[in-house]
Amino acid sequence: MKPFRFRATVNGRPVDLPVDPRRRLLDVLREDLGLTGTKEGCGEGECGACTVLLDGRPVNACLVLAPEAAGCDITTIEGVAVEGRLHPIQEAFLEAGAVQCGYCTPGMILAAKALLDKDPRPTDQAIKTAVSGNLCRCTGYVKIVKAVRLAAARLAREEGAV
Amino acid sequence: MLPPFDYHRPASLAEALFLLASLPGTKKILAGGTDLVPALRRGDLSPDHVVSLSQLAGMREIKEDKGFIRIGALVTFSRLAEFPLFLKGPYKLLAEAALQVGGPQVRNQGTIGGNIVNASPAGDLLPPLTALEARVRVCRQGGERVLPLAGFLTGPGRTCIHPEEILAEVDFPALPERAAGSFVKLGRRNSLAISRISLAAIVIRGEGGIVEEARLALGAVAPVPIRARKAEALLRGRKPSPALLEEAVAAISETVADSLGDRPSAPYKRAAVRGVAREALIKADPRFASGGC
Amino acid sequence: MTGQADGKMPAVSSVIGRSCPRVDGADKVTGSALFAADRRMEGMLYARVLRSTVPHAVLRRIDAEAARAVPGVAAVYTAADIPGENRVGIIVKDEPVLVDDRIRRVGDPLALVVAGNEQALAAAMSEIEVFYEELPAVFSPEEAMAGGAPAIHGQGNIQSVTRIVRGDVDSALKEARAVISRRYTTQMVEHAYLEPEAGLAAVVDGLVTIWVSTQNPHYDRREVARVLGIGQNRVRVVQSPTGGGFGGKLDISVQCLLGLAAWKTGRPVRMVYSREESMAASPKRHPCVIDYTSACDGDGRLLAVKVKIVGDTGAYASYGPATLKRAAVHATGPYEVPNVFIESYCVYTNNPTAGAMRGFGVPQVAFAHESQMDLLAGALGLDPFTIRLRNCFRPGGVTATGQRLLHSVGIKETIDRARAKAEELGMLEGKR
Ligand SMILES: Cc1cc2nc3c(=O)[nH]c(=O)nc-3n(C[C@H](O)[C@H](O)[C@H](O)COP(=O)(O)OP(=O)(O)OC[C@H]3O[C@@H](n4cnc5c(N)ncnc54)[C@H](O)[C@@H]3O)c2cc1C
Ligand code: FES
Ligand code: FES
Repeated sequence: MKPFRFRATVNGRPVDLPVDPRRRLLDVLREDLGLTGTKEGCGEGECGACTVLLDGRPVNACLVLAPEAAGCDITTIEGVAVEGRLHPIQEAFLEAGAVQCGYCTPGMILAAKALLDKDPRPTDQAIKTAVSGNLCRCTGYVKIVKAVRLAAARLAREEGAV
Repeated sequence: MLPPFDYHRPASLAEALFLLASLPGTKKILAGGTDLVPALRRGDLSPDHVVSLSQLAGMREIKEDKGFIRIGALVTFSRLAEFPLFLKGPYKLLAEAALQVGGPQVRNQGTIGGNIVNASPAGDLLPPLTALEARVRVCRQGGERVLPLAGFLTGPGRTCIHPEEILAEVDFPALPERAAGSFVKLGRRNSLAISRISLAAIVIRGEGGIVEEARLALGAVAPVPIRARKAEALLRGRKPSPALLEEAVAAISETVADSLGDRPSAPYKRAAVRGVAREALIKADPRFASGGC
Repeated sequence: MTGQADGKMPAVSSVIGRSCPRVDGADKVTGSALFAADRRMEGMLYARVLRSTVPHAVLRRIDAEAARAVPGVAAVYTAADIPGENRVGIIVKDEPVLVDDRIRRVGDPLALVVAGNEQALAAAMSEIEVFYEELPAVFSPEEAMAGGAPAIHGQGNIQSVTRIVRGDVDSALKEARAVISRRYTTQMVEHAYLEPEAGLAAVVDGLVTIWVSTQNPHYDRREVARVLGIGQNRVRVVQSPTGGGFGGKLDISVQCLLGLAAWKTGRPVRMVYSREESMAASPKRHPCVIDYTSACDGDGRLLAVKVKIVGDTGAYASYGPATLKRAAVHATGPYEVPNVFIESYCVYTNNPTAGAMRGFGVPQVAFAHESQMDLLAGALGLDPFTIRLRNCFRPGGVTATGQRLLHSVGIKETIDRARAKAEELGMLEGKR
C-alpha cells in the first residue's frame, strides 16, 4: 500500500508525514506524533476517550481514517493548555473533582471545549448533551457537569475583564 | 491496523464514479466512516478498495428548489440538526431524529447517505425520510436513477444500490406550513443508544381543523421502516382529540404486533410503542392531548 | 505529611477533612500522564495472546511452527515455555498463565505471540493451530453442584462454603406473624473500566520490570516471580496510572505474560487488550441465586432469616471464596436478626471467571434483603421506613456473626436523612 502524504495542522503546528492510509487518526496521533493523551477505550466510537477536535468539532479519532483528516485543523488534549498554563476548563476539572482515573478526561475536556467555544453560557442540559458521547466510569458525571459550568463562569469573567 | 485495502480520494463525483466503474475487485465507499470503519476493524468487510467521498464538497449542501428540499448525501447529522429550515415547522422531525443519533462525535461524522445505505432497521433518519416520502438520487458513470426510498431499502442492511453507484442526494416534496412533524425514539438510554422503537409523524391540518393527512413511519419494528397505514386512515378527516389519539395509538400498536408476529421483542414493543406513539402525535399536534382547536 | 514521631495524629491535618488537589491531576488534565499503553521503549516488541473459543476441552497440542515462521515474529510461547509454576490466583492457585492441560472457559489463554509489529502479530495469530477434545460444559451453578456434573477442576465444583448460624431459625419461623420467601437472581456484570488492560515489560538492570494497569502491584510481583521461577527481588512492578479498576484489575491480566515475554526475549514488550479482549478475559461480578426467607412478628420486628446464596465464580476461583463469604456475612443487611441460618456457595462453572467488583458480594444480597423488607412491610401494612427503623442496627447491637457494634452505626441516621430528603423532593407523595 503506498503511503499517503498526511498534511494537517496539529495543535497549531503544521505536520507533514507519510502514513499508511489504513491507519486511524488515533494511531497516527498516538504512535507517529507521540500524542498519547488521546486514549483508546473501545475502538468503535462508543466511549469518546479518543475525542479530538477536527476543525473545532469533536470527533472520535478511532473512527477516522488518517487521510480523511488531512488538511484539517486538529486539536488534541496536548494543545489545550497554552504555554504551560492550564486552560480554565482544565483548572475547573481539577478543582471540581471531575478527574478520577483520568482516562476519560482528555476526551471530556475536548468535548467541553468544543461546547464552550461555540456556546459560552451553556445550560446544564447543553453541557450534558455535549459530553453525552463520552463515557466516564468513575465520576458519575455530576462533577464533570459542575466543572464545565465552573469553566464557563470563569471564561465569562475573563471575557468581561478584557 | 485495518485489513489491507487501497485507499482512493477522488476530487470530483465524476472521478469517483470513474474509479468505481473501473477498479477491479471489491470496493466500498467511505463517507463518515461511523459504520464502515468499525466493520473493517472487526473484519466483517475486507474490500480491495476504499473510495473516500471526503473531497466532494458539492454533496454537503442542503437546498430548497422547485418545491423540493434536497439534501446532499454527505450532510452530517450535526448539520441536519442545526439547519435553520429543520429547526421548526414541518421538517422538525429530521432535526429531532438527527439529534438523537449516537453522541455529538458520531453526529459530527456520520452522514445521511451513510445512514440510508447502511440500511439498519434502527437507522434513525429512515422513519422521518419515509414519512417525508423521500426519494434518492443514485449516480453511476454515465447515468443516474431516482427512486423512492421505500423501494431503495430492500431489507436489513440491504438496498438496491450497485457497488459502482453513489448515493448523491436525498430529496422530498416541500410540505405546507400547516403541516407539523415530530420524531420520538425509544432507546435503552438517552444517548449512544440504538433505537428499540421509533416513530416519525407528520400531521397536515385541513380546513375546519381536521387532519387532512397523517403520515406515520415506524422504525425498528420491521426489516425496513413501515408506515402505520391503519392509523393514518383512521385519522384522516377527523379532528384531533384525546379520544382519537387513543384510537390511533391502538391501531399503531396493532401494526407493530402484525409486523413482529411472535418475535421475542414483540410483547415489549407492542406495549412500548403506545407511549412512543402518544408522545409523537402530541408533539406533532398538541390537540391530541387537549382537544380544542 | 505532617505525621508525628509519637504516632499521634497532628492536631490539624493538612489533608484530612479538606479538599486537596489530586497529586496526579495536572498530568491527567493535560494528557501527559503515561498510562501503560502510552509507554514505549527502544526496540519494543508487541505481544498478544491466542484465546480459546470453546468453554471446556482437553488441550492436546498447539502447533505454532507456521506462526513462528511469520516474518517479524520473535517468538510464540506455550505452557511448556513457562520456567516456574504455571498457576496463579489470589486465593487459590488454579488459573494457568497459558493452558497446559485443560481449557475451562471461552477466552482461556493458549499461546503468546511476540512480534516486532502489529501486522506480524495478527498474521501469526491466525497461523497457530490448536488441537483439543471438547468436553461437556456446565453453565449454571445449580447444574454444576448436582451429582454427575463434569468436574471442572478435578473434584466437585463447589469451591467453598460459608455457613453462619445464630439462634434457632426453625422455631422462630413457627412463631412468626409474617414469613416471606423469595428467590432472587442477579446477573453477571462487567466492570468496563474505561482503560482496557495494558502493560509494558522490560529487563532493566537485571530486574524484570513491568509497568502495568493494575490494582494489585505487590500481588502481581509475587505471581510473576513464581511463574518465572525467580526471586521476588528480581521483579519490579510499577503501577501505571490506572484507568479504572473497580476490583476488576485485582487479578492477573497481562503481568505474567509480559514478564515471560520480556524475560525470554530480553527485549521490552508491550501488550494492550482491545475492549473485546478485556470483556472476554477479565473477571466479572458474581451472578448469584439467592433463596431468602425472612420472618417477623406483628410489629415488624425481624425474628429470623434463612438464606442460601449460590455464586457462580466461573472457571477460576479468583476472589470468589472471599466474595461469597462477604455475601454471607452481609446477608442480613443492616438489621439485627436474632435467629439466622445462612449458607453461601462459591461454585465453578465454565462461564467467565467472576472476581472482585465494587461491593464484593454485598450488592447482590442487598437486592434480596431490601426487597424482603419491602415485602414484609407490605404484608403487615407498615411503612417501609418504619420497618427498617424498627430493625436497624444501633450501637450495642450484635451482627449475625456475633460482632458487637460498639461505636458509630450510621444506618438510622442514614434512613432519617434519606426520608427527609425524599419528603423535601416530594418523592413520598401518594406513597402512604
Ligand atoms: C457509537 C455509534 C453510535 C451510533 N448511533 C446511531 C444511532 O443512534 N442511530 C443511527 O441511525 N445510527 C447510529 N450509528 C450508525 C451510524 O453513525 C450511521 O448509520 C451513519 O449514518 C453512517 O454514516 P457514515 O457517513 O458514517 O457512513 P459510512 O460508515 O461511511 O458508510 C456506511 C455504509 O454506507 C455506504 N455509503 C456511505 N455513503 C454512501 C454514499 N453516498 N453512496 C453510496 N454508499 C454510501 C458505505 O459504503 C457503507 O457501506 C452509530 C454509530 C456509532 C459508531
Ligand atoms: S476509542 Fe474511540 S470512541 Fe472509544
Ligand atoms: S475518571 Fe475514570 S473514566 Fe472518567
